[in-house]
Amino acid sequence: MTIPALACFRGFVPLFMALALFPAAALAHGATPQKVVETIEIAAPPAKVWAVVGDFQDMGWLPGVVKTEGEGGVTPEIAKRRLFLASGATIDERLVQYDDAAMSLRYIIEHVDFAVLPVGNLSATLKVSPAASGGSVVEWKSRFYRAFPGGNPPEQYTDEIAVKAVSELFRSGLAALKARVERE
Amino acid sequence: MSLRALAVVFLAPLLIGAARADEAFVPNQSSDDLTIVDLGAMTPGATLPIGGKPAGVAVSRDGARAYVTSPEGHFVSVIDARARRVLKRIAVGGQPFGVAVSPDGRRLYVADMNGRELLEIDPDSEKTRRVEIGAMPSGVAATPDGRFVIAAARDDNALVVVDAETFARVATIAVGRHPYGVAIDAQGPRAYTANVESDDVSIVDLAERKLIANVRVGGHPYGVALAKGRAFVANQYAETVSVFDTATLAPLATIKVGEYPESVGVSRDGGTIYVTNWFSNELWSIDAESYKITGKASTGDGPRAFGAFVRAVD
Repeated sequence: MTIPALACFRGFVPLFMALALFPAAALAHGATPQKVVETIEIAAPPAKVWAVVGDFQDMGWLPGVVKTEGEGGVTPEIAKRRLFLASGATIDERLVQYDDAAMSLRYIIEHVDFAVLPVGNLSATLKVSPAASGGSVVEWKSRFYRAFPGGNPPEQYTDEIAVKAVSELFRSGLAALKARVERE
Repeated sequence: MSLRALAVVFLAPLLIGAARADEAFVPNQSSDDLTIVDLGAMTPGATLPIGGKPAGVAVSRDGARAYVTSPEGHFVSVIDARARRVLKRIAVGGQPFGVAVSPDGRRLYVADMNGRELLEIDPDSEKTRRVEIGAMPSGVAATPDGRFVIAAARDDNALVVVDAETFARVATIAVGRHPYGVAIDAQGPRAYTANVESDDVSIVDLAERKLIANVRVGGHPYGVALAKGRAFVANQYAETVSVFDTATLAPLATIKVGEYPESVGVSRDGGTIYVTNWFSNELWSIDAESYKITGKASTGDGPRAFGAFVRAVD
């Protein structure tokens, strides 16, 4: 089977329901780490964008996330959040770096089912910078492994599928962020 | 004196000087190749195709050979380091990852990451011995006297000591959470390992075979190297190199580096530290005493260079 084009977490629902759940606990990472970098320009000052992106305890701007519950504010290594998806699935994340002055944060996924996002050991950075045009540039970049990094993965869990899923998630997230901030 | 003789007199020292710079052998996992960096000029000098998503590397003490592991190709490449040529691939199966060379250059030690084992390979005959290490064998190093091999069993949170002669496991030492890179002190019988999950470095007394201390470093440490009585530790999430005094264990500095630093190497004279930055595709050089960034060289995509990647050129 192949994974359908997924515009957001909501798109994962049929797949999520169809597949048996695989725990994405700390699995072996002998395979090749993957890179994804997505950027978007937003017609708003960086501080206004960072006010949304920098609130680690509210990921509501990401399509498919219906609720964020967490603790620890924006203190690295202490701050955690659980994203509740429309599908009923959850994703557990931990903040590992937070630089308010540089408008940059890094988080890791501590738990996600492969049916929701077919990756392991994902860390990601969100950074807001001033754009030449006067607005902002948001960069969302990530390092991760495919699901089942050891040996030969099942065909639905290749490097390519992991990269595609993360790229599409980031693109949909950045587009929604842009729409929200420019609307406000 | 003829012009030619003059040229020899004045150019010869320059040529010798140029030839004496150390080199870095940097496997690039995403671009499937190896960048050889001239560490004098901090410029990439050659690129060799490797294949199989290369990650681990070890250069022999005499500088003649470099060995590169390809976890997804299930082989080890044997490289003539002077000629900059791949001589052959040794098929080892599994996921070969961490690698070290015995001090005499006659044996290779390869960690099979998903196979629980450390392999000893004669690079000429390819004759192989195996010993069970535990869950997720990662970093490997040989003691300077060649008597022992130290391997990190990452998911067992332990360093394992293997007798190089019998190739039997002789000790297991509990360390921090998820030990990864391993370095051994050339002077004292100590091993250092960076613990990815507990954000510290464990220091092990190899004579007593016991943990001396865990020293706090930055977020997600991967690689560790030793120079000038100091330990240099690449912190992948913090994007820094932590420096601490190996005698007092006191922190000395935190150096900001590139994106997702992973492996740390040392120049032959101990004066310069080299760090691979996996995300930004660079090798940086850092003065081991002033902690100043002294150079940046481009690599291929996704430089891992997991292991002893600096080649002393003679």
